[in-house]
Amino acid sequence: MTAPGRRLLQEYRRGLLLLLPIFIVVALLVFLPPDGRERAEWMQFVGRFHPLVVHFPIALVLLVPVFQLVGRRPQFSYLRASCGFLLGLATFAATAAATLGWCLGRSGGFSGPLVTQHMWGGVLVTLTCGLCWLSRGRLSQSETAFGISLAIAVMLVAWTGYRGGQLSLGADHLTEHMPAGLRHVLGVSDRRTASSKADPNTFYGARVQPIFGARCVSCHGPDKHKADLRLDTYQGVMRGGKDGPVVQAGNTQGSDLLRRIALPANHDDFMPKGKKALSSDEVKLIELWIGAGASDTLAKDSIKNAPGDSSASNAVAEIIFPETDPAAVRIMRSAIAPEVAKLQKRFPNILDYESRSSADLRLNASILGAKFGDNDLADFGAVAEHITIADFSRTSITDRSAFTIAGMKRLRVLRLTNTATTDATLQRLSALDQLESLNLFGTQVTSAVLPAISKLPKLAHLYAGQTSISRESVVSGGLAGKVVF
Amino acid sequence: MTNSKARPKDAKAGEVSAEIYSELRITALQAQTRRHFLRTLGSGLGTLFVGTALAQYAKPGKEFARSESAALDFTRDPSSPLSELPPQFSAKVRRVIYLHMAGAPSQLELFEHKPDLKRLDGEDCPASFLAGKRFAFISGVPKLLGSQYPFHQVGESGHWISDRLPHLEQHLDDICFIKSMRTDQFNHAPAQLLVQTGNARLGYPSFGSWVLYGIGTENQNLPGFIVLLSGGKSPDGGKQLWSSGFLPSVYQGVQCRSHGEPVLYLDNPPGTSRSLRREMLDAIDKINQQTYATFGNPETITRIAQYEMAFRMQMDATDAMDIHKEPEFVRAKYGAKPGESSFANNCLVARRLAERGVRFIQLYHWGWDSHGADAKEALNLGFADRCREVDQPTAALLADLKQRGMLEDTLVVWGGEFGRTPMRENRNGQEMKYVGRDHNPGAFTIWLAGGGVKPGITHGQTDEMGYEIVKDPVEIRDLHATMLYLLGFDHHKLNYSFQGLEQKLTSVKPARVVSEILA
Repeated sequence: MTAPGRRLLQEYRRGLLLLLPIFIVVALLVFLPPDGRERAEWMQFVGRFHPLVVHFPIALVLLVPVFQLVGRRPQFSYLRASCGFLLGLATFAATAAATLGWCLGRSGGFSGPLVTQHMWGGVLVTLTCGLCWLSRGRLSQSETAFGISLAIAVMLVAWTGYRGGQLSLGADHLTEHMPAGLRHVLGVSDRRTASSKADPNTFYGARVQPIFGARCVSCHGPDKHKADLRLDTYQGVMRGGKDGPVVQAGNTQGSDLLRRIALPANHDDFMPKGKKALSSDEVKLIELWIGAGASDTLAKDSIKNAPGDSSASNAVAEIIFPETDPAAVRIMRSAIAPEVAKLQKRFPNILDYESRSSADLRLNASILGAKFGDNDLADFGAVAEHITIADFSRTSITDRSAFTIAGMKRLRVLRLTNTATTDATLQRLSALDQLESLNLFGTQVTSAVLPAISKLPKLAHLYAGQTSISRESVVSGGLAGKVVF
Repeated sequence: MTNSKARPKDAKAGEVSAEIYSELRITALQAQTRRHFLRTLGSGLGTLFVGTALAQYAKPGKEFARSESAALDFTRDPSSPLSELPPQFSAKVRRVIYLHMAGAPSQLELFEHKPDLKRLDGEDCPASFLAGKRFAFISGVPKLLGSQYPFHQVGESGHWISDRLPHLEQHLDDICFIKSMRTDQFNHAPAQLLVQTGNARLGYPSFGSWVLYGIGTENQNLPGFIVLLSGGKSPDGGKQLWSSGFLPSVYQGVQCRSHGEPVLYLDNPPGTSRSLRREMLDAIDKINQQTYATFGNPETITRIAQYEMAFRMQMDATDAMDIHKEPEFVRAKYGAKPGESSFANNCLVARRLAERGVRFIQLYHWGWDSHGADAKEALNLGFADRCREVDQPTAALLADLKQRGMLEDTLVVWGGEFGRTPMRENRNGQEMKYVGRDHNPGAFTIWLAGGGVKPGITHGQTDEMGYEIVKDPVEIRDLHATMLYLLGFDHHKLNYSFQGLEQKLTSVKPARVVSEILA
């Protein structure tokens, strides 16, 4: 080693000594990373202190820039002097927190990109913190370098803290309750309204997921994940909950989910807790599915003699009344509730939720007749995307409302009966890809709109009585059999 | 207190006492010191903490209360008891048109094709048919009676139908038959009550009342539950068929006339202007409000709401019921003639009401009680007239609803209160002059069409004589549970506390949603 190198080493000995624990942590992370398996109890016990301890270095690191800035004023100059101490303390605390974090990650059954990011974020924070401390102590002449590394440290703390929050509170913990207006401005999508659908052609999608959807997801779903279990997606079902997997492919005996739903309702482990037991057919379906390998690709009709199967002759599917969870409904509606309440006050009895368990809206302006016009409809813009059924029969709306109607992207039913609507409106409705029923009875609409209408993917009924649409024009093409004259 | 404004000498005693009270309150507030504040703050925070800390021990009780109170909440602003409420879950059906054929039409002359019965026509009825059975009029050994009309198959669905309903038969592919309906009542009034209120005794709310209670009505300018009668006589069950029973009376059906004023005395008397009427109602409202404040009887609120609705109805009801407003070709399709009190007019009015957001429309057509005691009751005479009276209008109603896209979310139900026997009625053991059949509660046919119902199918089956059900019996309560399901309700959950019970339409026996007929 060269002489200046040795001098540097001499000078920084203490500092390098400090970096040693950090390197140890890094080594642990590299060679013994968290892999999703649960390990020794004591390690988990120690690891659980990570979320507690971690706030200590965060506060210390954030204090440094505050002291630096406030210390610029002469009467507070003494604050600047304590920054070195703060940084030193922060480095030690960060090292301790990182070590505990590794304990938690390694032993607590964590894995995934979030964990990895949070983990390396923590290590980088510790390192940057240490470097800040060193550069503060030794290179005090280089204000810029110190400032930059401090800024980096603060940003790293914020980013790592956010990732940690996501780990413990859920990926969208900051935006979950964001008001709709702000959400719109920032372009943050609402996860709760977007739902993932399983492929209806698979046995899982057609037979199993609907049972979970009706009976389980009010507690084990996107809004509540009791016992850290989510049954709203296939991945969630297979991942399991806090006590490990609940479904063992092919092993009906070892699948905790099946055991619990098959228990008598007064048993402690019975699920769904406090609700009506699943029917024997439902239990049988889930049992068959698990027995057949719990796959999400298995074709719908590949399991023979499944209960309620159309192929099984005398089995009749009994109606299962969907359960309503008022709390979940409130959350679903939270984004639009104030706006809906306002509109309901202005236009009583024409706007309401489709049901007590839904955040979709039904708009029936036909009740107001000609008193309801384009200007009134324009006021519904804020809730347009939540309207699934809209009836404008006999209202005085015109083509000026085309834009507002086109904004109701989730419309299933649209009734324009006896309105002044013309082809111009119909040409602009191509975005309504959920539309199933379109009622043009008694309008001036002509056959010219048929090409545009036939492109609507889900359209099943087109009511074209007393219009200028001719019977001959729909004989061929995609609309044949869907038009009622 | 610095406010020492001079009071007018004639200030009322009440005002004086109010001022003294507020003066005292301010004085008391002024006596508060910082120590008081700190003491209250300290003990207050402590109490709050203890309150929340102890709350967890109260949890078991709370949990219990919550699971008990899974009942749905139907409370509304008392001033608008008919306002809309969303259904429990998304509903296929938004409104119901119930065509009740009062007197119980013979399924064997309309929809039940029984060639074996035709073959045995005139034979003595086997003893096994009579053992343990009660009849209204049959006595001794009656003769079997084959259908009086020829049957044929129609449509893609291949339904069998007699030649009495030539218009309706064009719509059979939109219709779902239940041929295995059953009731436990064999007299008209209780049987009609059972069909319409779920109970054969008086005092229970009609289906329409339950629906209004459950989801209210969209159009506040019209009653949400309207009843129209034709056939020259009221149904045997009388006004109880559309009564609200133990539900608040604002939910009862409103019987409307199909010509003249829809409701008697709805129009202002000559010389009374609408504004004068308004002033009068305001004065009455004020008095009623005072009465309500004193006694708190919800029926007072009902009364206020009824007055207000009558006022709004003056404009809208007259318009809705006026079939002159329909173009001639539409009237012709129904066979409707303005000014008559006919089933045809009522069907056309029913469509106009449905368009205007009326929730539940009940049509009763009287005269189906074909015992054969006279020409009007004869299967080959009066019965044929009844068929003619309902065939074209019913078909036109279905066609009209379908064309206007309303059949998507309207449920049309057609049926009587029980069926008729495969034996010819022999009053007092004598062969009668006219051909007729007695009551048969054991099997009858109804049909449904519209939202959420599988079109073109038949559910249930009777034996070769059409006498008893051999497959998939459907009780009245099952039909009710199914209809409620289509309207977005679990029939267990649509209930109202009365006499210590959570009362419900389907009453206490288990009812089943007939899932086989759901689309």
